[in-house]
Amino acid sequence: MSNPASGNPCVGIIANPVSARDVRRVIANASTLQLTDRVNIILRALAALRALGVRQVLMMPDKVGISSLLLRGLARERTLGNAMPDVAFLTMEITSSAEDTRCAVRLMRAAGVCSILVLGGDGTHRAVVRELYLGSTADAPRIPIAGLSTGTNNAFPEMRESTVTALAVGLHATGRIPAERALAGNKLLEIDVNGGAIRDIAIVDAAVAFDRFIGARAMWKPDNLHSLFLAFGEPTAVGLSAIGGLLQPVSPRAPGGLAIRFGDGRAGSAGAIELTVPFAPGLIRSVQIAAWTAIEAGQALPVDLPGGSMALDGERELVFAEGDAVTVTLRENAFPTVDVPGCLHFAAQHGLFRHPATSQ
Amino acid sequence: MAANNPFPLSRDALLGCYRRMRTIREFEDRLHIDFGRGDIPGFVHLYAGEEAAAVGIMSHLGDGDRIASTHRGHGHCIAKGVDVGAMMKEIYGRKGGSCEGKGGSMHIADLSKGMMGANGILGAGAPLVCGAALAAKFRGKGEIAICFVGDGASNQGTFLESLNLAAIWNLPALFVVENNGYAESTSRDYATAVNSYVDRASGFGLPGVVVDGTDFFAVHEAAGEIIRRAREGGGPSLLECKMVRFHGHFEGDAQTYRANGELEDLRANHDCLKKLAAQLTSAGVASAAELADIDRQVLALIEQAVVDAKAAPLPSAADLLTDVYVKY
Ligand SMILES: Cc1ncc(C[n+]2csc(CCOP(=O)(O)OP(=O)(O)O)c2C)c(N)n1
Ligand SMILES: [Mg+2]
Repeated sequence: MSNPASGNPCVGIIANPVSARDVRRVIANASTLQLTDRVNIILRALAALRALGVRQVLMMPDKVGISSLLLRGLARERTLGNAMPDVAFLTMEITSSAEDTRCAVRLMRAAGVCSILVLGGDGTHRAVVRELYLGSTADAPRIPIAGLSTGTNNAFPEMRESTVTALAVGLHATGRIPAERALAGNKLLEIDVNGGAIRDIAIVDAAVAFDRFIGARAMWKPDNLHSLFLAFGEPTAVGLSAIGGLLQPVSPRAPGGLAIRFGDGRAGSAGAIELTVPFAPGLIRSVQIAAWTAIEAGQALPVDLPGGSMALDGERELVFAEGDAVTVTLRENAFPTVDVPGCLHFAAQHGLFRHPATSQ
Repeated sequence: MAANNPFPLSRDALLGCYRRMRTIREFEDRLHIDFGRGDIPGFVHLYAGEEAAAVGIMSHLGDGDRIASTHRGHGHCIAKGVDVGAMMKEIYGRKGGSCEGKGGSMHIADLSKGMMGANGILGAGAPLVCGAALAAKFRGKGEIAICFVGDGASNQGTFLESLNLAAIWNLPALFVVENNGYAESTSRDYATAVNSYVDRASGFGLPGVVVDGTDFFAVHEAAGEIIRRAREGGGPSLLECKMVRFHGHFEGDAQTYRANGELEDLRANHDCLKKLAAQLTSAGVASAAELADIDRQVLALIEQAVVDAKAAPLPSAADLLTDVYVKY
């Protein structure tokens, strides 16, 4: 396959080594993707990137085993004579927290990567987008991401073989597909505490919870919920966004979002309806719905609970107290993703994978 | 959990947990000083920095639940309710200690509290816990057994064999990997082929969970679910607590393997006690003055324990022949 003029494209890879490790493993048999499987996912993606001419990859380092296993895998592929991109690990302090992801994004941006391939669940993708969205100036080039699902709740990253996702990333990175065809715009929810004192985002759902602590982060108790904001919610989802998905679906590509107010079942005041949802993988629960309404982009919606916590994309992230002014605002076309099916359809239509037959 | 009590524990229980964590910290920091002075015989491995794990887990246990501890066991003992005065005497090698002063730091045990003992042999607690969990299963009262193991000790065959045994017998057992990043001076990254304890558990069909071991509420919440499952017959699990140790591997360790500024950062930004205090005060559960009051009481308790330990007699030659065999 010929490689059109596009310099020497570099792709970033951020693989969260600790996604799919929270307490939902014991509560509901949620899956545990082993590190060796994660590394195999990366090796397959690398092979596909290299086949399309991507020779440079920048990886986030970690101390949990992805880097060390990947280095072993790459050495094996070299010994076997299989072509792989040059994989460089970013030089950065490793904290084994979400800060690593944010730091890696900053360094990848500075290094000028064409796109970032993300392995993780909704939370990992959120951490990457958070840094890209909040950490860049309005006129900075927007780096697209491509997601591979290795988490628990995966409303955002699609379940897809990494080879295929990497082919799409490679087609885009090598300039074979124009950006307007290769990329799609995505919505997000912007969270603001006290007029910019704290800014955060959610790429799928922002839930307001009664808990005043972060604790084990994951959400598995419906009666802890006060309200929910959704950038999108599909009926096929699992997790908080499934509540919207089964109430009034909003697709990721459609304008607008959804806000839901839960009934206070605990105090005995019945909600308007009770909805049965897959609250977490393997965990079917009823939630009391008091009211729900469509929301428009650009409106700052107040959180009307005096003190509690917010779960962003399924994990409790921030705690707020009485007197804190918390708002949630939907933003449209806030960040680009590589449109994997779009890229591969384009490639098929334009014969990008065809070659003249080679004479034997 | 009601909307007006945003924590999973009552105020009294929360303050009790804070007090236990502070007691462990004060106990260990005091031993650090006394060992440096040459007051203490033998070896001590201090638990300071790791308190949230022991207290977060043990806050779900009763005396009928058994634990097997490690060489770094003082925190487990205090969290399980072993008397601090008896512990101090034991470490000082005095009569009246938990084992009449004949065991020392790595042998503190108190079966009346379900504390089956610290252990100088890495990984040796795991098979003991399988036995205790099997007994608990036969007793049928919903009791459980917990094995604590370090990241280094988790490479011991005994630990892996025990995961297998617990799985096939569906034991009410919990394996807690206290991952502080080091085994003596060997970093975990170097010494462990697949750096995920959860993956190891999956290899035996056990679910595994990772929590921030420096966040009391993270440990408490996850451990609560895991322990409930075990009590109800759901079988064994593994819990990895990512944590930090504030002192050397053993007292006297020069810690040349640490990065520049590592300890300062750990103490400033990853101190589980500071985190819990901030959570309690910012939510209005307790005032800074109330916590300071607890701190003062704990300080006095430890001071008294040291005074009493120093005043207690040493075991005599005749004591060597007692407590050797158990009478049935
Ligand atoms: C079977 C055995 N091998 C070696 C030792 C020596 N030893 C004592 S502590 C230790 C390191 C333990 O590291 P880890 O399990 O991570 O626990 P930590 O000290 O970090 O709490 C070693 C090797 C021992 N006590 N027992
Ligand atoms: Mg260790």
